[in-house]
Amino acid sequence: MMQAEVTPAAIALVGLLAALFLHDFVTLQRNRRLLLLQLVVFAIGGWLIVYPEVARRLAHFVGIGRGVDFVLYPLVIWLVRESLLSRRRRHEEQERVTELVRAMAASGAHDVSSLAGACGHSSRRAPAHSSGVSAS
Amino acid sequence: MRPVRIAVLMPAFNEEGRLARTLAELGAFVRGEGSSQVSVFLVDDGSSPPIDDVAVRNASEGMRVVVARHAVNLGQGAALETARRLALEPRWQLDDGPFEAFVTMDSDGQHQPSDVLALARAIAEGADVALGDRFAGGSAVPASRRVLLGLARAFERATTGLSLSDVHNGLRAFGPRAIARMRIRQNRMAHATEISHSISRASAERAKDDQLRVVEVPVSVRYTGESLAKGQRASGAVAIVVDLFHGFLFNPHEPRGPR
Repeated sequence: MMQAEVTPAAIALVGLLAALFLHDFVTLQRNRRLLLLQLVVFAIGGWLIVYPEVARRLAHFVGIGRGVDFVLYPLVIWLVRESLLSRRRRHEEQERVTELVRAMAASGAHDVSSLAGACGHSSRRAPAHSSGVSAS
Repeated sequence: MRPVRIAVLMPAFNEEGRLARTLAELGAFVRGEGSSQVSVFLVDDGSSPPIDDVAVRNASEGMRVVVARHAVNLGQGAALETARRLALEPRWQLDDGPFEAFVTMDSDGQHQPSDVLALARAIAEGADVALGDRFAGGSAVPASRRVLLGLARAFERATTGLSLSDVHNGLRAFGPRAIARMRIRQNRMAHATEISHSISRASAERAKDDQLRVVEVPVSVRYTGESLAKGQRASGAVAIVVDLFHGFLFNPHEPRGPR
């Protein structure tokens, strides 16, 4: 039987998890599935905090020195990957927004010399589109 | 001199009175020169308040000005790319034929209209790319700017192998063959480096017929308190390097095409 290690740090961390869950329970109420997933992940996290022997034994079993490293290594790998993926997503979003804004700009492009009272230019085609003229 | 059909690609963001002054000077020069046909593709990059069409029209006698607006601010590179695509659209070509020279010009008045025409002439005389060289043109470039531009030049030389005097000068001209290959994907200030990379690649093509002929033309740049305040700072250099790295990671190299 493993012994619970209720240190001040463990109390603070589990308290933080509980507070975060409570916060999300209030704000994410409508998304029950997400809440459930969060509850499971937080419960595992809390269990590993209060019973560090679990992680320690698992770590020794796979040849890692400390229990904390057993949790940390995969977490770092996942975070680095997540950061790269989110940068790429942001980049792609940015490209999509750019093309959208550009398409709007192109469809609203207009020849200002064709505004009322303009002085003409001898050699030009009539613009196919001349909306979006504003005189602010 | 033979008249040249010129498309001026001009991004603008919160330029207020400077834009009208720039257009008025360009218009006056074009009228004085008398032969070239100039169409300005002015892209308002989400200025607040938006660029006033009537003020633009009043300032641009003798030229055609096509205005397009970005609904939100995207950056100078994005605005230049929008202007480039507009200038290639069939509906904005002139009756006399397609544009022969495409000149990128800043809207804050730091470039001289005479230099715009000089670069366009270099294109009309057979160059594919004509780059303004402010160091040869006798501009009073501030010392801090010289250091920053020197570093940028060393960076270009190391990464592109292209040995140019003034890579970050916004005054450049392209012929039809070159402009089709200058697609800009860097929305912000890293587009200058992106353009020199494209020029470098295109001037070193294996097939002789695909190689672009690049010339440098002395130009003068006017530095004013306003243009310096809006220009690049050293902190911007870090942002440019980050943008370039993102572009390197996420923009796969595309095969050559019209866009």
